[in-house]
Amino acid sequence: MMRRLLFNLMVWSAVLIVAFPLFWMVVTSLKPQLELWARPPAFLPIEPTVEHYVTLLQDTNFLVYFRNSIFLSTATTLVVIGVATLGAYSLVRFTYRGRESLAMLVLFTYLLPSVVLILPLYLMMVKLGLANTLFSLVLAYTTFALPYALWLLRSFMAGIPEDLESAALVDGASRMGAFRDVIFPQLLPGIISTALFTFILSWNEYLFALVLVNSDASRPLTTGVMNMLISSFNIEWSLLMAASVMMSVPLIIAFAFLQKYLTRGFGAGAVKG
Amino acid sequence: MSRSPQALLERRYARLGLLLIAPTIVVFCAVIVYPLLAAIYLSLFQLYTPTLEGSFVGISNYRDLLARGEFWISLRNTLVWTVGTLSLQIVLGIGMALMLHQAVWFRSLARSLILFPYFVSTVVAVLVWRWLFNDLYGILNHMLIGSGVVDMPVDYLGSMPNAMISMILVGAWKYFPFVVIAVLARLQTIPDALYEAARIDGAGPIARFFDVTLPQLRDVLVVIILLRAIWDFKEFDLIFLLTGGGPVISTQTLPLLVYKEAFALNQMGMAAAYAVVMMAIMLVFMIVYIRQTREKEAS
Repeated sequence: MMRRLLFNLMVWSAVLIVAFPLFWMVVTSLKPQLELWARPPAFLPIEPTVEHYVTLLQDTNFLVYFRNSIFLSTATTLVVIGVATLGAYSLVRFTYRGRESLAMLVLFTYLLPSVVLILPLYLMMVKLGLANTLFSLVLAYTTFALPYALWLLRSFMAGIPEDLESAALVDGASRMGAFRDVIFPQLLPGIISTALFTFILSWNEYLFALVLVNSDASRPLTTGVMNMLISSFNIEWSLLMAASVMMSVPLIIAFAFLQKYLTRGFGAGAVKG
Repeated sequence: MSRSPQALLERRYARLGLLLIAPTIVVFCAVIVYPLLAAIYLSLFQLYTPTLEGSFVGISNYRDLLARGEFWISLRNTLVWTVGTLSLQIVLGIGMALMLHQAVWFRSLARSLILFPYFVSTVVAVLVWRWLFNDLYGILNHMLIGSGVVDMPVDYLGSMPNAMISMILVGAWKYFPFVVIAVLARLQTIPDALYEAARIDGAGPIARFFDVTLPQLRDVLVVIILLRAIWDFKEFDLIFLLTGGGPVISTQTLPLLVYKEAFALNQMGMAAAYAVVMMAIMLVFMIVYIRQTREKEAS
């Protein structure tokens, strides 16, 4: 019993150390400005306040950035999942020349550094007159989101028994009919996992947004919030921490309600041991 | 010529398969294959970013780059960062996975808390850590001074080697959950009988780890190390936001060098050359990884 207690204490102290920065983020966002400069700092706010959240929503561009991020991540996810689901179906269940090489090309692009692609993409967007638009970011985000989603969906698809599809075909269904009625329902949990991961990846992206968008009207949260840090004369840490908490809200929602899909995506991803 | 219905059907299926993959191929060509080739082409030019005017210079960008000290310093920084943060991620990741594999109170809550740093945006992670690192009001300095470890506030990001160490630590914190989850998934598939047999042979917990657990984890660890090495090598956001490559260029890695050359010094061609060289170095790891995956799929 004593050993179990000690072991639990050890594990939980390690977990709490890892989680401490996130705890501190929430605590700081709730502290009034004066308490921030208190020494020693209090571990919990003495007079908790939501004033920084109010300031954030009323006096800054935060809501614009938030809306941009929602639009951007949703659009990227929809496009990528649509293209990747069909692509993965083709890569797993059809035979044609070059299929294997194509699969390896997907894996290759999945590992490719964004910093190589960004230079030509920047030139391309400037030439097409798309610079500073959210659309340019949707296009740019497919460079990492599509290989990722394809690879993930491919392994989900491979897990669906082939007999199911054959049975439907014997019963007279067409390939696409079998896809709609048999494969798709089986694949749905995998699609949800992949969509969730794609959304989070797009939500967190920074480099493309930094290079391709330079106007407040179409800045997403990542560069927008970072801009608040750089452009403010003296850094208001509680405001930035409030922004960080708000920025993590979709993530917290995903964690609370969709954790099953999150861990499943992890298992099916690149590391299938 | 075979005109059996079977062959006809197969031809139709192959055509449908190509039709389904077509959108993927179109997008790939437009946003990945073309830019990739364009990057190599660009690296042969001297190009001024704001006006996009310049001239063909052949391979002289590459010759310049290899002669520049900055390239070699950045390469060294990239290697120090990658090796440092990756080793920490692996050690911490395996340790945490072993702990969370046991019966712990509120295990699923503990797992969620561990997973969070991995999913949180790098922007958020960096903001939080910069606040923790704050020299006057940061909690870290306060705790260190309070417990008597140091008497002066530590400058975490503005001096060397502190900046590199801080960066490696934050990187380990952010990315070790990936190792935890991957190892945890594998641990659950190790048959209990193996541990039973080792116990009967009189192996203690440490011997069991080295004789049973570690060999079983070998394959998954190879994959994790390759993947994380590739991802850490190309990491941009965390380093750019945390230290910006500073002080001066002491923590400037290759991706930061590419960015600086292209958008701060406005030398697009030179930046492309850096990017191509960086990719060539990464290619070694990428090919090993791809080969590994292909072998596993074949078996």
